[in-house]
Amino acid sequence: MISRRTVLGTGAVAAATLAAPSILHAQTKTLKITTWGGKWGEIMKATVLPAFEKEFKCTVQADQAFPFVPKLQASPKNDPIYDVLHTNSNEQWNCLVEGLVMPKITAKEVPNVADVYPYAVSDKIVGVSIFTSAIGLGYRTDKGLAKPTSWKDLADPKLAGVRGGYIIPVNSLGQCHLMMLGKVYGKGLQDLDAAYKALEQLKPIKLVDFTGQMEKMLLSGEVIEGVIHDSGVYRYDGQNQPVDFASPSEGVLALEQVLNVTPGSKLKELAFGYIDYMLRPDVQKLLAEGVWYSPSNKKVKLDAKYDAKLLTTEAKVATLIQPDWKWYNARKEDIDARVTKILKG
Amino acid sequence: MAVASRPSPIAWLLAPALLLFVLFFVLPFGVMAMMSFYSGNPVTNPNAFPTTRHYERFIFDTAGIFHDALWATLRIGFITTVVSLLIGYPLAHWMARMQSRLGHALVLMAVIAPMLTGIVVRTFAWMTILQDRGVINTLLMEWGVIGKPLPLMYNEFGTVVALVHIYVPFMVLTLTGVIGRIDERLEQAARSLGAGRLRAFVEVTLPLSLPGILAGSLLVFALSISAYVTPSLMGGTDVLTLPMLIAQQVGTSFNPNFAGALGVVLLLVSLLIVVAYNRILARLSGEQGLA
Repeated sequence: MISRRTVLGTGAVAAATLAAPSILHAQTKTLKITTWGGKWGEIMKATVLPAFEKEFKCTVQADQAFPFVPKLQASPKNDPIYDVLHTNSNEQWNCLVEGLVMPKITAKEVPNVADVYPYAVSDKIVGVSIFTSAIGLGYRTDKGLAKPTSWKDLADPKLAGVRGGYIIPVNSLGQCHLMMLGKVYGKGLQDLDAAYKALEQLKPIKLVDFTGQMEKMLLSGEVIEGVIHDSGVYRYDGQNQPVDFASPSEGVLALEQVLNVTPGSKLKELAFGYIDYMLRPDVQKLLAEGVWYSPSNKKVKLDAKYDAKLLTTEAKVATLIQPDWKWYNARKEDIDARVTKILKG
Repeated sequence: MAVASRPSPIAWLLAPALLLFVLFFVLPFGVMAMMSFYSGNPVTNPNAFPTTRHYERFIFDTAGIFHDALWATLRIGFITTVVSLLIGYPLAHWMARMQSRLGHALVLMAVIAPMLTGIVVRTFAWMTILQDRGVINTLLMEWGVIGKPLPLMYNEFGTVVALVHIYVPFMVLTLTGVIGRIDERLEQAARSLGAGRLRAFVEVTLPLSLPGILAGSLLVFALSISAYVTPSLMGGTDVLTLPMLIAQQVGTSFNPNFAGALGVVLLLVSLLIVVAYNRILARLSGEQGLA
C-alpha cells in the first residue's frame, strides 16, 4: 500500500525535477543582442552563438527583426531592450546623440580591440567595427560594359534607366553614394550642392531600399550597373552569375558592422565579452568567409580566395573612406527632402 | 424595491471584442497622438516638452514633399477603390446569383486563393511581370512590338495594378454578402412591370446594394491608403505616400513624434473623406446614414 509519506516524497522529487530547468534558466544570464538575418544569421545561430553560450555559460537572445533603433528608443534607458547593439555606423551615431550607446569601446574593456585596423575604432566610429564591406559599383559582365573605374562611370548616358541606386532617406549606401558624388564632382564629401547636381544627372535611375533588392536587380538584368557593397556581389562567387564588383579609383566607402554596448545594460561585462568574442580571429574568419565581409582584426588569415578580394591588409583598408555620420545625421531631414524632390518624376 | 442593475449577457459577450479594440486600437492611437504633441519620448526622455512643431512642419511644408505625399496617398487610394469596385461588383453579382453551389464554392476559392499568399510575395510577383525586363516588356520587345520597355512599373500605374489585385477580394467578399441578401424577386417584379434588364439593375439592385458598396469601398480605401510594402516596391522614384514617409521617420530618421503627427493627419483626412462618402451614398439611397 502506498503511504502518504511516499506520495508526498515522490511529489516533492517530481516537482523539483520539473522545476529544475526553469530554476537553472532563471540563474543563467541572458544577453540581449541584435544581429542580421540571412546567411549571417544562419552562421550566428548554428555556430557562433551556441559556442559563445557554452563558453560564457549564458543564453543569448538575438533580435533579427528591423528596425532595432526605434525599439531601443522606446525602452527605458536604465533597462534597455538590448545589451549589445549591432547596426551600421550611421545608426550608432544617432543612438549616441540620444545617449543610447557608449561613445567608445577600448582595449581596456575589449582586449581584442588592440588588434583591429585603425578604421574600426577611428573618430568616425561609435563603438567598434567588427567587419566592413566596401561600397563601390556592381555591374553585369554580359552586357558589353567595361569594368567601371570611376564613380563617374555610373553617369554614362548608355546606362539611362538601367543604372541602380538607393532610396537615399532610408538606405545608408544611398547616403554614402550621395556624399561620394560631392567628393567626385565637388569639393568633398560634404559638398551637397555638387552632390545634388550630380544626382540630377543620374536620372533616370532605378532606386531600391535595401541591398538584397539591388542584388536581385543586378541578377535579373533590371539594373546593369549599380551602387552596391562588395559582399553583395562576391557572395555569388562560384554560382556562375554574370556579375562583378568594381572599386572606383576615387575610393570605396566603408559599410561598417558596428557593435556597441548600451549604457544601461545590466550585463556590461558579458556584453564586452561578446564583442571581444566576435573579434576573435577564428570567429572573424568563420563569418568573413561565410558572408564575404572584411574582418576588422588584423590577425585574421583568410583562405586565398577571400584574401584576394577582401580588405585584409593595411594598404587595402587605406582605400576605405569613412563618412562623417554625425555631420550627415544633423542635416538628414533637409537632405531627405531635397533628394526626394530631385528624384521624383 | 430597486433591483441592482447587472450587465446584460450581451455586454459580457462584447467585452473581449471591446478589450481587443481598446488594447490594439484606442491605446496605440492614443500613444501615437500624445507622442505627436511632444518633442521626444516623454517616458524615456525627461527633457521632452509639449509642442505643436510636428504639425506646423506638416502644415507649412517648407520641405515641399508632405502635401504631395498626402495627395498621392489619397489619389492612389481613390483610384484603387474605384477600379476594385468596377472589377469586384460584376464578379460579386455573378457569385451572389449563382445557382450551383459547387460553382459558387469554386469561384469563392478562386477569389480567396490569392489571399493565401503574402502581400510581399504577390508584389514581387507583379514586379516580375511589370518591370522593364519583366514578362510583358520582354515578350513585347522580342516580338518587335515595342523598341523600349513600356513604363508599367516604378510609377502610380504599377502601384495601383498591384494594389487592386491585392484588395479586390475584400471588395468581392463584402459585396457578395449584401447582394446575396437582396430578394431577386424585386428585380423580377421590376422587369415584369416593363423595366429592361439594365434599368431594373440600376433602379432596384444597385440602390439596394449601396450598403455593400459603401462597406467594400471603405475597406479597400482604408487598406490602400495605409499600404506600405506595395507602393515602396512598385512605385520607384515616382511614388511617395504618407505610410512610406511614416516608415522613414520611424525606421531611419528615428523621429516617432513626427511620424505620429503624420499618422494623425492621415487618420483625420481619411475620416473626413469617409464621412463625406457616407453622406453622399446615404443621400443617393434615400437613407440617413448607411454605415
